[in-house]
Amino acid sequence: MFLLPKGSALFENLAVSKLKLPDVLSKLNNGSFTGYASFVFQSSTAILVFEAGKLVSVIVEGKNGMRESGFQALSSLAELMVTTGSGALNVYKLSKDLTMCIHALLEGETLCKAQDLKLIDINALLKKIKDDHMNGCLRIYTDEHSAMIFYKDGNPLGFFHDGASDIETSPAESQKIAGTPGAKIDLFSTKSADELMGTNLLEFTNVQKIWDTCVALHKSVIDKTNTERQERDRKVLSQQLAELEEAVKSIVGEYVGRVGRGIVDKEISENGGNSCLVDADRAEKFIKGVERAAKLLVSGTNIKLMMEKLTSTISLAKSEF
Amino acid sequence: MEKFIELLVQMNPFDLVQVVFWGLAGAISFYFSIGNARVWTSISIGFFLIFLSQAYGINPWGHYQKLTAYHHIVGTVAIMTITHGFLEYYVFCRTFEISGNKLIVYLSTLGILIAAGVFLLINPTPSPNTIRNMKMIENAIWVFLCIMNIELIRKIYSAIRDSDISKGFIAFGIVFVCIFMWRGADLYLQIFQWDQDWQDIITLMTEESTDIDEYMGRVEFSREVIRYAGVLSGVSVGGAFTYMYKLLK
Repeated sequence: MFLLPKGSALFENLAVSKLKLPDVLSKLNNGSFTGYASFVFQSSTAILVFEAGKLVSVIVEGKNGMRESGFQALSSLAELMVTTGSGALNVYKLSKDLTMCIHALLEGETLCKAQDLKLIDINALLKKIKDDHMNGCLRIYTDEHSAMIFYKDGNPLGFFHDGASDIETSPAESQKIAGTPGAKIDLFSTKSADELMGTNLLEFTNVQKIWDTCVALHKSVIDKTNTERQERDRKVLSQQLAELEEAVKSIVGEYVGRVGRGIVDKEISENGGNSCLVDADRAEKFIKGVERAAKLLVSGTNIKLMMEKLTSTISLAKSEF
Repeated sequence: MEKFIELLVQMNPFDLVQVVFWGLAGAISFYFSIGNARVWTSISIGFFLIFLSQAYGINPWGHYQKLTAYHHIVGTVAIMTITHGFLEYYVFCRTFEISGNKLIVYLSTLGILIAAGVFLLINPTPSPNTIRNMKMIENAIWVFLCIMNIELIRKIYSAIRDSDISKGFIAFGIVFVCIFMWRGADLYLQIFQWDQDWQDIITLMTEESTDIDEYMGRVEFSREVIRYAGVLSGVSVGGAFTYMYKLLK
């Protein structure tokens, strides 16, 4: 994503996770805001350009260079805001003309793209811009640096280069980059600021519905994930409980004989299933029940040994759950 | 006291030894019932009641016919209580359910004995023939329930054969075999009217004759079985409870 002039910052680094897209857009719309809002996420950046509160362009660009605009971009932005826990919102106020140039840069008509500066007559191009009273942006760049010249009615509005935070009046940096071997240019043009005022994405886009759909979708994904996790946890717990039950049966069976397994089954059933083995109160009832039944079958000495083994196994298992 | 000593002197030594052994067995079984699980209470009380039923021989007031009849009723209650206990133990082995409490067992048994006493008090004094009938009914119930208990013990043993106390049930099985022979032989004599009670009745009260002389061999054999199996029953009960106590310790 291009570096853009910051103008006057209204908000910087607002946590996106606490914001709702319809509220943000409504606020900028109602405040007749002119400038742009940038949403910076780890994987993507979104730029929303406003002219007197009207949303004139939306761009979402991923780290891989993939771009989306318009309704698609609004949907992606809403999705990013809902699904991404991180992200920051910056809102910069710009002049009406500069905003028009930013729009040209983002969504204007591309007249030149990646043209080698050596291969074109730059003077003729600049003359054409002036003669055609062009509104737009000329971008000069190398692999390391870039600079932009914004035009209104063919006249330069200002100069902006990476490393600067705002528009400058001096063309020095632009000329320096233009003089670098391998420098290329892009030229974007757009309608006049007044004509742009006729466009407002907010008028034919139901942002609230896009947002609600994303929230609902995200909730369903989270619910599904939670359900799957709970199911997985339940399975793991169920397996652990089954292993513990088997261990308990082996201990009781070792001292009481094969009826011991039946006694354990009966006590587990009476205490609400094998989860009783890891519940303090129910485990105590279970142990007492087993002891009571074992007294009819096992000597006092063996009962004592069995109870010690049983208690320590259940206590150890409880600490692990 | 003098009368009691006189009774002891007059008693057949075999009967005296038998009463003494039943006394020991009764004491051991009663002691066993105090310190052990509820299911053992019925069994222990039942064996203790056998002693009470056998003690009529040394009872100074044994010549009271109602008291003699009462001894036989106690004997009947004894085997029914024992059977109830083994039945509960068998149910436990199949379902692992243990219900009730010791106090209810004690009170229920006491209630039945009191009801039996009231039954005798409100009815006419039983004649020797009636007492003999009671004794015969007691023996019939004993014989039937001994067979049932042997079967219950077999099933209990097969269910718990790998537990500590399984061999204790073999001891109880031996006890019931001894009791079956003892009571069975007595019942045999009663059914064919070769028992001493009947001989006394026909000598003193009726003109009836008896064929006992024709079968004296089997009568004598049965009498010997009654003596030895009776003593062995008492000894085996005491031994079985002592063995069970050792296994459960």
